[in-house]
Amino acid sequence: MTAEAPRESDGHRRFVTTVVEVEGREETKVVELPVSEPEPWGEDARLTVVGRPIPRVDAAEKVTGRARYTADIVRPRMLHAAIVRATIPAGTISEIDVTGAMAAPGVVDAITLEDIPRIRIDGNTLFDRTVKYVGQPVAAVCAETWQAALAAAEIVRVTIERAAHVATFADAIAADAPLVRRSGNVSRSSPSIMERGNVERGLSEADVIVRGAYRTPPALHTAMEPHGAVAEWEGVGDRLTLWESTQGVFRVRDEVATGLGLSRSRVRVIKEHMGGGFGAKNSAGAHTFIAAILARRTGRAVRCVVDRYGEQVDTGHRPESRIHLTLGARRDGTLTAIVADSQVTMGVGGWEASPTAIMHELYGCENVKTTDVYAWVHSQAMDSFRAPGHVEGAFALERGMDTLARALSIDPLRLRLSNVPGRDQEKGRPYSSDRLRECLVEGARRFGWPGWEAPAGLQDSEMRAGDAVGDGMVREVVAGGGIVEAGGGRRLRGIGMAAQVWGAGGGPPAYATIKLNSDGTADVLSGTQDLGTGTRTVLAQIAAESLGSRFEDVRVVLGDTERTPYAGNSWGSMTIASVGPAVRMAGEEVRRRLCEAAAEMLECRPGDLSARGSVISTRDGTRHLTFADVTGKLGNVMIMGHGSRGPNRRDVGLVTAGAQFAEVEVDAETGQVRVIRIVAVHDAGRIINPLLAQSQLEGGIIQGLGLALFEERIIDRATGVPLNPGMHDYKVPTSKDVPMIDATCLPVTDPQANHIGARGLAEPPIIPTAPAIANAVANATGAAVDELPLTPRRVLHAIRSTYA
Amino acid sequence: MRIPVRFELNGHAVEVEVAPDRTLLDLLRDTMGETGTKEGCREGECGACTVVVDGRAVNSCLFPAPEIDGTRVLTIEGLSCDHGRLSRVQQAFLDASGTQCGFCTPGMVMTAVAFLAENPAPMDTEIREALTGNLCRCTGYVQIVEAIQLAARRSRDPQA
Repeated sequence: MTAEAPRESDGHRRFVTTVVEVEGREETKVVELPVSEPEPWGEDARLTVVGRPIPRVDAAEKVTGRARYTADIVRPRMLHAAIVRATIPAGTISEIDVTGAMAAPGVVDAITLEDIPRIRIDGNTLFDRTVKYVGQPVAAVCAETWQAALAAAEIVRVTIERAAHVATFADAIAADAPLVRRSGNVSRSSPSIMERGNVERGLSEADVIVRGAYRTPPALHTAMEPHGAVAEWEGVGDRLTLWESTQGVFRVRDEVATGLGLSRSRVRVIKEHMGGGFGAKNSAGAHTFIAAILARRTGRAVRCVVDRYGEQVDTGHRPESRIHLTLGARRDGTLTAIVADSQVTMGVGGWEASPTAIMHELYGCENVKTTDVYAWVHSQAMDSFRAPGHVEGAFALERGMDTLARALSIDPLRLRLSNVPGRDQEKGRPYSSDRLRECLVEGARRFGWPGWEAPAGLQDSEMRAGDAVGDGMVREVVAGGGIVEAGGGRRLRGIGMAAQVWGAGGGPPAYATIKLNSDGTADVLSGTQDLGTGTRTVLAQIAAESLGSRFEDVRVVLGDTERTPYAGNSWGSMTIASVGPAVRMAGEEVRRRLCEAAAEMLECRPGDLSARGSVISTRDGTRHLTFADVTGKLGNVMIMGHGSRGPNRRDVGLVTAGAQFAEVEVDAETGQVRVIRIVAVHDAGRIINPLLAQSQLEGGIIQGLGLALFEERIIDRATGVPLNPGMHDYKVPTSKDVPMIDATCLPVTDPQANHIGARGLAEPPIIPTAPAIANAVANATGAAVDELPLTPRRVLHAIRSTYA
Repeated sequence: MRIPVRFELNGHAVEVEVAPDRTLLDLLRDTMGETGTKEGCREGECGACTVVVDGRAVNSCLFPAPEIDGTRVLTIEGLSCDHGRLSRVQQAFLDASGTQCGFCTPGMVMTAVAFLAENPAPMDTEIREALTGNLCRCTGYVQIVEAIQLAARRSRDPQA
């Protein structure tokens, strides 16, 4: 594939700027065009390692407890740090007294604002005297043990002169509201307006107009492993090594270097294993700087792991959104206008992930206008959380589409099918892979959506089963609204569906190096991260495929800013589509050079040789050399290959699309919702490892189910205090909440996206789950369930207000 | 004040002194240096710290260290000391992709070990019930349940 120069004016330049989409925002990058890139693996490519359901390469470490996470790193004479946090939401610190803490047993050091350089995190200053939320770090202590540090943090005396606070969007924009930021309580870009066509004209052309108001809750990532860092300085304190649980080693390196006034190469960030991120671990945090600063002051290694309370009150969240949506359509269902106004409650910081961006993408419509307003309030900052913005917007849009279907008496699935956009409407270009329609149809078939072909050969036993469907009740499902009664009236069954789109095409820059060892095995080096997604395994498969080696002969080394070449953050579902092509390119180079060496030994031409299963064979199959034979004869000659990710084509849009279908049971007396089953079909291009793709699909669906039914961070409006800052009261799904899941990806490849044909899959599956479930609850009850999560109280309220 | 305790850890006799405010999790991770048992919440909610005490799966973060005296403790480190060979439950978690980020995995595995000892031929619903104290944020639990079911099948038929 020839990489296209992103700008005509770039002509034949090698170093060009290009635009990469990251979590819905566009970033401009400089990229060095690869001299040549491999031909794409097409539909008919005969691949032997890529596409196989290989168990993850680090599973043995994980099931034995030998995988080391940040809290497991032990350095000689290491100290432990604990963070002192504000307990009220707003005010000014008049005094911090650490003398008591310093006198406590085992305590070595304590730091406050006076002891550190000015460090900015999420637009706020670390240890700022101005308190802006409960949980804000105001000081830190370190001690010989973690327990001693925690105990000492408790006895640091912090005096705060309390000020008035704002906890909600409405409070923030009220006249005379206390200011969260000096610049005001709405972000500088607010209102942020995006418009295409003319919505007034679109609404005047509509036969039917529906309006709705939707709300998604503030949600907490709640990764199993809290944030953490271990810091150690070398020599006389001029080189820092950081072990950090992060989605981006290079980003953390750059932020720490900037914050501490160091040259970037003086900071080494290492990430080996981490216990999930979901967007909350994209940057250096307070804990990172605290560990680094205390380590420098004490001359000893310092570990700073955030405790669960700190994790839930101070490491980011999906912000609450309220969206007013108006849809206009012709009688046949064709959308004529989409108008959306959103209000996002950010907390004290974060970035503006538009909840209405999806309104411009998911369905075809000439006239779209969206207005976003972002407000600052006295609570922890927003941070990326698995498909930020799109999850919130999809709930509003897909609930709106069901309301529209009902108003038009059109089947909700047919309404969506008749509005599949078929192209990237914002940029006026086709998609590299346009398969939303296929996902909808295949999902409907698997689900047995009424009016669609009965699910061919789909037996209950084929479902990825938990509980059986057959519970003795008569099961009726009808599409398009109306109450579905089952088993005598109290328990109501319903079905619903929703679709998804998400930019997951990846992009440059990303690098990989592969070195062939003298025993014929290969090491892949790349500065990307495996958050638990399976990056290590998938990159090993791509490397083995391109090298022509056995899978088990490849070792993947990731996440070390000193020893692995650059790769960006693992966010925006872009890791494999970004790094995978670089790994393949490096592997092809190693194979080419290995074959050249083998050709000299076999006295033939390199073109007469092929490599498979770590064996090089002549085309006629008569002579063979193993990789180890060749490297053995080469002594200490080191064959290495380098690969880089070229720019994306500008003439196609890169998105991952999908559709999900839900069946629920609602207890009409208690409001309790039970999800019976979910069918999911997504198109993410080539699936490198179906076993790991399955994990991503199921995991995304269950996080979506949590958002639909349970998850909501609650802050007391009067006091500004978080009321559920632990895993007891902040409810994430458990094993018993899991329905039957039939999740699959279309068996396709996307050679226009990049030369491995893969796009991303981490975020897409969470997007349609909550709206599909809510649509099913609406279908079961006939009630407008437009606020998440669908707790029994909300469901009962919706039923009562509908039938009052 | 330090309290002497004697117990059996993964088949080996251990004699240590512990402070009365320490938990079994602290004892394992800090005193013994066995970091396979994970700390996810320190409040008995997530189950990442699950170990087996006298055959019962417990949250080691809630278990007072002095109470360990006279017990037999099995942790993730005690499952696979046989020349690096994985135990049946561990192998099943590996084969069925019952692990993603892996942070909850040691706790999941220990819960499964205690559970299967009591109920060697469980229904899926029983496995789901047994796992309710072990949270996982990456997987959909589906492959974890399959892993435990696979381990159960293999205990009846090693070829499964």
